Amino acid sequence: MSDANTNRSESESGHDHADHHHAGPGYATPQAAIEESERETLAYVMGLYVGTDIDEPDFVAVVDLDPDSETYCEIVDRVEMPARGDELHHFGWNACSSSCHVEGLERRHLIVPGQRSSRIHVIDTKDRRDPELVEVIEPEEVFEYDLSAPHTVHCVPDGKILLSMLGDADGELPGGFLELNDDFEIEGRWEPPGEIEMNYDYWYQPRQNVMVSSEWAAPATYQPGFDLEDVEDGKYGQQLHVWDWEEGTVEQTIDLGEEGLIPLEVRFLHTPESTHGFVGAALSSNVFHFWEEDGEYRAEKVIDFEAREHPDWDMPVPALPTDILISMDDRYLFGSNWLHGEVWMYDVSDPANPQRADSLSVGGHFGEVQEVQGRELAAGPQMVQLSLDGERLYWTTSLFSTWDDQFYPEEAERGSVMLKADVDPRKGTLELDEDFLVDFGECPAGPARAHEIRWPDGDCTSDVWQ
Amino acid sequence: MPSHDVTLEWINGPTRTVAVDADETVLQATERAGGTLPYGCRTGACGTCVGRLLEVDGVTKADDRTGDGRAVDVDDAFTYRRAPRALKPRHQDDGYVLLCIASPRADCRVAVGSQVQSELVDNPWK
Repeated sequence: MSDANTNRSESESGHDHADHHHAGPGYATPQAAIEESERETLAYVMGLYVGTDIDEPDFVAVVDLDPDSETYCEIVDRVEMPARGDELHHFGWNACSSSCHVEGLERRHLIVPGQRSSRIHVIDTKDRRDPELVEVIEPEEVFEYDLSAPHTVHCVPDGKILLSMLGDADGELPGGFLELNDDFEIEGRWEPPGEIEMNYDYWYQPRQNVMVSSEWAAPATYQPGFDLEDVEDGKYGQQLHVWDWEEGTVEQTIDLGEEGLIPLEVRFLHTPESTHGFVGAALSSNVFHFWEEDGEYRAEKVIDFEAREHPDWDMPVPALPTDILISMDDRYLFGSNWLHGEVWMYDVSDPANPQRADSLSVGGHFGEVQEVQGRELAAGPQMVQLSLDGERLYWTTSLFSTWDDQFYPEEAERGSVMLKADVDPRKGTLELDEDFLVDFGECPAGPARAHEIRWPDGDCTSDVWQ
Repeated sequence: MPSHDVTLEWINGPTRTVAVDADETVLQATERAGGTLPYGCRTGACGTCVGRLLEVDGVTKADDRTGDGRAVDVDDAFTYRRAPRALKPRHQDDGYVLLCIASPRADCRVAVGSQVQSELVDNPWK
């Protein structure tokens, strides 16, 4: 299996690296992102009150990550949404390294969708410590395209923005994709309707003219909470869709079977030459490797987390690996087992044969570490984010408000935490940083949940290269 | 404009009665009266706004003499603007109602707040 599996020449991709002109956002290459970036000193983190009795809107938290700052580990600003009920979940930039050749384009605006409300917010981060809400696309505008429940945001080369949408206007199937123009107006539906039924996350690899999308369920299925009956009724996804990126059409659908139930985060390797990637199948507690071979994509289970017996549970507890990411140098795969209480790293130098490097047992139902600085951890590690140099791994603990209430009811009462581990990429080790704790339980209006994390200059899950 | 009194009871919390016009939802009327209820999609898909019907026109489940448990029937108390997609048939049989799309047809009492939402599903493995 070759990692340099390039199907299209650089001239075909319209991106000639022999004469690469980097005048736009991001970095010319993943290696440049590692070498030229400075240590993250701020994080933008989703903060939530939806589904609680606290009468406040969700917010984007600005977290101080500078160890030399007097406000280190504090939420130094909160951008409140204009309405309640959003369930802020995932978010992304107006531009990233895929547009690094576009002169004048800036990585400046965050696109922040409400998963429940279908309201889409645009936040200007020109002043990084004091970002401002500048645009709102109301749900009714989104419903006009027979779409709802926006999830993943990626910037498309040349300034456009693409959002995966998990439902139709009724919160049923099919979902699809919504495209915004560079003025943050709805351009229209990206794909011909009916290409897919279920949708969730997606990642594109433009030099290979490919996009891979995954499946959660219809919003009306997953939003009220997790019901095992829905799994038995086939209402949860188990497929990957391989798209022609230029045409916006599904070329291939891969059924992962029972080992691949609820495939969530899709991560291609960062190098634009690769066709390899990973997807975490949350409910089956497996990670699949996917790759292109002889003109078609294949997927194979490469990591299998065993369920564990718990004295207070009637049935074995699944690990529930809900988030994964790949380090910028494509060397390590990191992830979180939300129910077990574990963050882990695998060496994926050979993506078909991941080797477990290290893990931390923290939080969740089995974690050895159940408090940090005396703060009891109410849930397991969930959304992960890695520094561009691969030396600091951060995570938050909320999955989705209604699912939190089922598996970690205390998360609503205590709020989430954001934690950090120091990573030694040379030795392949993880060490919990006991000096780092961001407590979302201390927010002025009451305990808040915390979900996805982003750095102002791009991170390991935001940027794509042509 | 005919209206009905809907008494909102937060579990272990306050009680508030709101007059709800026939052409508005319980959520809209509560907001108009300066109150708040949890909500999300406001279209009946997500279940965040769910309440549990306790009493219709002074009749509670405890008053049920038929034995079929239908003394407190959501259909007797509310009309929906559109289908309540977030609720399964078992939820509707148990008296759960989506307040973002429901308008009352009778005076009634409803348990509300985030704790009601967490009653819809439990941990299937515990």
